[in-house]
Amino acid sequence: MPELRPILLVEDNPRDLELTLTALEKCQIANDIVVARDGAEALDFLYLSGSHAARDPGDPAVVLLDLKLPKVDGLEVLEKVKRDENLRHVPVVMLTSSREEQDLVKSYQLGVNAFVVKPVEFNQFFKAIQDLGVFWALLNEPPPKLRQVGGD
Amino acid sequence: MSGSQSDLDFCAREPIHVPGAIQPHGSLLVLDPAGLDVLWASANFKAITGRTPLELFPSVEAALRAWRASGAHAYRARLQNPEVDMAAHAHQGRAIVEFERSAPFLPNALLSRLTGFAQQMTATEELTDGLSATARLIADLTGFDRALVYRFDTDWNGHVVAEAGNGTLPSYLDLRFPAADIPAQARNLYTLNRIRLIPDANYTPVPLTAFGEECDAGAIDMTFTQLRSVSPVHLEYMRNMGTLSSMSISVMVDGKLWGLLSCHSRNAHHVTSDIREACDFVVQSLAMRISADSRAETAALGVELARVHTKLLAAMAQADRWDEGLAGTPGALLELTRADGAAVLSQNSYLPVGEAPEEHQVRSLVARLSQQDAATDSYITDSIVSEVPHDGGFNDGTCGVLALRISEVEDSWLVWFRQEVVKTVTWGGDPHKVVRESGRIHPRKSFEAWREMVRGRSAPWHPAEIAAARDLRASIVEIVLKKAEQLARLAADLQKSNRELEAFSYSISHDLRAPFRHIVGFSQLLTEREKNLGERSRHYLQMISDSALAAGDLVDDLLTFSHLGRAALSADKVDMNKLVAEVRRGLAEETAGRTIVWQVDDLPAATGDATLLRQVWYNLIDNAVKYTRLREEAHIEISAVLTDQGILYRIADNGVGFDMAYKSKLFGVFQRLQRSEDFEGTGIGLALIRRIVERHGGSVDAIGTVDEGACFTFSLPALPEE
Repeated sequence: MPELRPILLVEDNPRDLELTLTALEKCQIANDIVVARDGAEALDFLYLSGSHAARDPGDPAVVLLDLKLPKVDGLEVLEKVKRDENLRHVPVVMLTSSREEQDLVKSYQLGVNAFVVKPVEFNQFFKAIQDLGVFWALLNEPPPKLRQVGGD
Repeated sequence: MSGSQSDLDFCAREPIHVPGAIQPHGSLLVLDPAGLDVLWASANFKAITGRTPLELFPSVEAALRAWRASGAHAYRARLQNPEVDMAAHAHQGRAIVEFERSAPFLPNALLSRLTGFAQQMTATEELTDGLSATARLIADLTGFDRALVYRFDTDWNGHVVAEAGNGTLPSYLDLRFPAADIPAQARNLYTLNRIRLIPDANYTPVPLTAFGEECDAGAIDMTFTQLRSVSPVHLEYMRNMGTLSSMSISVMVDGKLWGLLSCHSRNAHHVTSDIREACDFVVQSLAMRISADSRAETAALGVELARVHTKLLAAMAQADRWDEGLAGTPGALLELTRADGAAVLSQNSYLPVGEAPEEHQVRSLVARLSQQDAATDSYITDSIVSEVPHDGGFNDGTCGVLALRISEVEDSWLVWFRQEVVKTVTWGGDPHKVVRESGRIHPRKSFEAWREMVRGRSAPWHPAEIAAARDLRASIVEIVLKKAEQLARLAADLQKSNRELEAFSYSISHDLRAPFRHIVGFSQLLTEREKNLGERSRHYLQMISDSALAAGDLVDDLLTFSHLGRAALSADKVDMNKLVAEVRRGLAEETAGRTIVWQVDDLPAATGDATLLRQVWYNLIDNAVKYTRLREEAHIEISAVLTDQGILYRIADNGVGFDMAYKSKLFGVFQRLQRSEDFEGTGIGLALIRRIVERHGGSVDAIGTVDEGACFTFSLPALPEE
């Protein structure tokens, strides 16, 4: 069995972060959760630069990306990832408070893998996070070539 | 009157300014450009001057030198030996010198008469008095049997407006003569050379003898000569009129030929050059008076029209639309051009005022004008029938049209109309009668008075009225432009505030939802974590969670509502049966365990935005389900009827209903008629329905009875015909 790749959670709001982490904890996913607090840090992780220059190589299993972020916002991060030959295969799930159609349209244009509006209702929210974690981190099979790269 | 132009227009063929001959009462020399060589001389030279050209030349030379030194175009001198008057002018690079036997100097008595006349001309109140005085003085000075003041109308027909004479010749006062009597090239000559004298219609023309190498005397342009031999057609005309001598002096008003002073005698009659000069002075005085009168009239009219213009301007400024402002002030609009009717029209409006023709006739007129020439922005006529194709006239007596284009983009026009003025004109002979002899048109031989009814013509538009109309157009254009600018500014402001509103709602949707989520999440976590919480504490936590949830729903509904105002609508054919079925399936959870009797008719399809129409059905059906919750057996009926306006959809239930007294609040935002502990909701649902339906061009309505039920209806426009 290949080594479990981490989940990259990009979230600036500490309360949302805590709720999301709690939800992921509860669904007993074994993957590491790496937290980035803004878009710039997320890119550092993905490109092994800045504070993440020394991390173990390998792409995350999934990026859970908030839309509104300090420094570099979610759409910019998404665009950068999906335009990059080496990163475009990494699944990106947009997690947002917004039901704005323009964000949805823009995200899909940029190639987002899923777009989830965080439900206000707690149980729905938990369910959504857990489903996402289980689906993208456990069930989803990455393309074969990448499995080799990520798995050694 | 249009037909009368035919007959004598043939005269216009005759090149009368190059006759190659002169009349015998004087003699003429044509000199080369340097003024040294004689090119031509009239054959009667010695008879008039008593010398041959070469013999006379030394006496002339000094005068010519003085002329050249003066640099003037024309020159006059009196030679002493022999006693002749000399008049020279330059034309087409030649010097033409005319000689007549000297007349005595004007006596002092004559000079004082002229001065007196000039004074009278400025003092006389009525122009008609001035015209009669002029005719009298001219007849007196020249000794002609009759002197006429002959005025041209805009079509160059002549009208005798004053007359003086000794009774030898018949009176022509008030008669009219067709334009062809004095053909265009003759009028041209009259404009350039004010005085013409024919002492004897039976004269024998004096040919010119060539001295130089050029032989064709016909090539000499005699436009400005006084002795020019006149056209044989004209001499025949004079003989027909029974007059052997004539003289005419042009009345030039502001550079245009206003009319003629026309003198005749039955027999040959000569007028010396000094008397002719005096007559010219008299006529010039008259011309100045006419000019002053017409200026004063135009000025007075201008002041009056400016007053009317101001009134119209005020009306336009007060109205929402300039055209309504004009049409709403019919008196002033008609007064501006002294019209009988007017119309303001654009692509989609027609506002007639007074006696205006029918809309389709006016439209076809402006359509024709627009076709003729894209640059055409005005059309002015007092006889539309004579200017447009056979069927282009109006059938309501309208003859005069003054049309101005206001805007090319909107194809808007302002048109004034004048009714036909039927008038009786007395002609000097039937102007329509064509006399032909051996293939050539002859001047009329009959001068009996001929009466004609002039039809198809309105009073002509005065230049001041046309100017006033153009001024009004300038004002309208300015007002229209100003309003357009205001609208553009308003639109820009609106766009800006719309953008701000969008940014505002965007920010709300992100930032306001999050805290509610956090409150719900953490209170739930707390509940789960503290297993030993008392009943009351659990209840409080539940209240906190419920409130935050409700607030979250409210934010969502508000955002949906505000999006509706700006989201683009699609217009597809929507299967309403399918929508209703989908909505009912979606409400399965709410209806589970309840007894609901549904009666759903077959619904006609609508045109619109399926997503939004689904929302309408969802809110209505959800309401019906919600408000029948307390019934043991709920009844919900959904149906539709086709009406003249479109399709009316209807949903009725036997729920709690509402009090019709509060109906006006039903469709307002945040209006609730039920206590929230009885029936949950944000109070936006019906407002949302109304907004969606109205954006589709329809309307909503409801009736209800407390505790018996409610019935909601919404209409949508009918499907377009396929």
